[in-house]
Amino acid sequence: MTPVPNPTFEWMNQSRQWGVRVKPGKKGLTLGSLNVGIYGEIPTEWHDQTRNPRGAIARKGMPPVGYAIREKAAIWADCAADLYEEAIQRRWAPATDVPWDTIEPLPDDVERAVCQVCTELSQYANVDIETISSWQHQMAYGYHEVKQFLATATFDAGRHYEVFRKRALYNGGGLGLESPGEVNRMILESRGGWTEAVTYLFLLRGSYAMTILRYLERFAHNDAERFIYGHVIQDRARHMAYALDHLKYSIAHVDAQSTVLATLLFIGDRLFARELRDPVMREALAIIFGGGVEGARTHGMATWEAMMREFMARYEGACEWLRVPRAPDRIPEEMRRFLPEAA
Amino acid sequence: MSEAVQLDAGHDLDLGWMDQHGPWDTKAEQSKYGLTLADIQLGEYGNPPVESDNQTGRPRGAAERPGSYRIGNYAVRTKSEIWLDNASFLYEEALQRQWSSATDIPWHTIEPLPDDIEQAQCTMDTFLTEVEFVAGDVPARWIAQTTPDFFEARNVLLCQVMDESRHMDVFRKRALANGGGLMKATGGTAGVVGSIDLSRDFTEMSSRLHISGEGAVLTIFRMGELMAYNDAEKAIYRLCAQDEARHVAFGVMHMRYMAETAPERHEEIHCYLDEAERGILAGSQNPAGQFPTTSESMAILLGGGKKHFDEGRNKLIAIRRRQLSEYIKRVRSAGFGDRFDNGRSQVPEILAEIAA
Repeated sequence: MTPVPNPTFEWMNQSRQWGVRVKPGKKGLTLGSLNVGIYGEIPTEWHDQTRNPRGAIARKGMPPVGYAIREKAAIWADCAADLYEEAIQRRWAPATDVPWDTIEPLPDDVERAVCQVCTELSQYANVDIETISSWQHQMAYGYHEVKQFLATATFDAGRHYEVFRKRALYNGGGLGLESPGEVNRMILESRGGWTEAVTYLFLLRGSYAMTILRYLERFAHNDAERFIYGHVIQDRARHMAYALDHLKYSIAHVDAQSTVLATLLFIGDRLFARELRDPVMREALAIIFGGGVEGARTHGMATWEAMMREFMARYEGACEWLRVPRAPDRIPEEMRRFLPEAA
Repeated sequence: MSEAVQLDAGHDLDLGWMDQHGPWDTKAEQSKYGLTLADIQLGEYGNPPVESDNQTGRPRGAAERPGSYRIGNYAVRTKSEIWLDNASFLYEEALQRQWSSATDIPWHTIEPLPDDIEQAQCTMDTFLTEVEFVAGDVPARWIAQTTPDFFEARNVLLCQVMDESRHMDVFRKRALANGGGLMKATGGTAGVVGSIDLSRDFTEMSSRLHISGEGAVLTIFRMGELMAYNDAEKAIYRLCAQDEARHVAFGVMHMRYMAETAPERHEEIHCYLDEAERGILAGSQNPAGQFPTTSESMAILLGGGKKHFDEGRNKLIAIRRRQLSEYIKRVRSAGFGDRFDNGRSQVPEILAEIAA
């Protein structure tokens, strides 16, 4: 075996743009700051099927890896690079950052409700993980900022899966009943494209989950729960920011995309409404908001209804911002009754 | 709450779900490292099934709902296919050791370098930007296909995707931080048969990715001090090595579990290792191998410039020796060391030849 062949140095002096010197700014040397010169040219379509880094010279003749998502409009969001850096700066560890010792025993009905909600939220995180990770490897390298941001999103979701499980198993309870799964399946089956997955995973389910978490934070029983809900909100807010930015970009660049999204939501709302008929999550939340089963029957359920009104305002507000046409009379009754104008 | 309106009549509640739950009265306790995944492995919650029939994405230990929709036709649902005994530990360590390429690297220590060295550095950066996310793309695909009953292993892989994303970005940052730029890609991760991408089995993928591929890169990162020209580069190699060591540990521990629990698959695993070893120094996936672009770049960095290429080449050969020795140790630790004693593996011969 020849240890190292005689050098040819043929690889030298082969760069599309030399002399680049990006300096760290006040947030350090960020991913977005690297987008200078040709390195910041983000093409509308990315034809390269290898892992050629954007801006490097491609090696000709290499077999394709096989990326399905190669159009900017199918993936892009301008904020992805900044969200990536923010996610890294705001990292946290459930094992050591949550003040677990602030958790005290709760009344049995309340503990059961908390454990049920944690079971459901853990399952939401599972859907986040399975949905995003099933798309990641299909995304072309030319849009690496999005791939990298989504790596933080699945990392966040893994942490959410873990932290809700830990809470359920910490205070004398256990895991509750699994989810009905209809909305989970809908999200996972959004195979038409990444944009469609984003619509269901973030715009619909994400808006709902964020609203639940905000209410849970208000009704937290101790600092540990307050920390958990607050930090999951912070993580999910980044996911939502990417989603809305991407959907806006997609609508602006893909013909009739807003009507496609309207159709998706028309279908998605029906499945979502069917799942709302299931009492488990509603009652568990009402017990938490009402301080127990008795309180759930009155002000707990009233608070749940207020939460649903806030959810619908958030959800419809996002649709309006995106200019996705929505006809109130086509929204299922289970959701329509919480629209602001229905109050 | 101000928005909560007291209702005249109380709502009827079903509450049937309150009696449907997993094992109750569970009280996890914190250990000295906080409340870790290991601390919540209590009773049934800590017992992943040998075969998972969980098709609904149910959290392990939660009560089943007969009408729940099947959401996952999980390809990985046999424990031995993905399991490792220290997944909880690796996951918690990964969370504690996250770092930021934007703020944790002392970028201000980078000073202009001679052009040949900067070109060599940028070529290595281009290569590493190219290959690091193989180890992001590929585990992601397997995560989606793994039942949540094995969530501990899956969470380690989620951390790996995150780590690789950071590696991809830190080498791009280095290439664009010092008057250079990206160079020509190697195409070394293209879709050819036998590549990490195309593995049809998780353990096959892990043997190619964690044991062979990342193992070789780990050795290089650990010896990064020899080719670093400033504190920023030293920090990059040191922090990447720390991450990479976890990924390699995943592969070794998984293979060890497989060796202990699935003897019927030993021969198959040996075949994967045969294949990985055929490309251990050939091809373009090992930058210290025989592919001129990366091996010449490394020799320039190790020697201190084109003028000292021979000196660099000697150090490169030392790195190869170490790569092969460490590979042998890992495979032995994983329980497949017999291949080095019975003549099946050519690696000892290659090592002897390099040492001669």
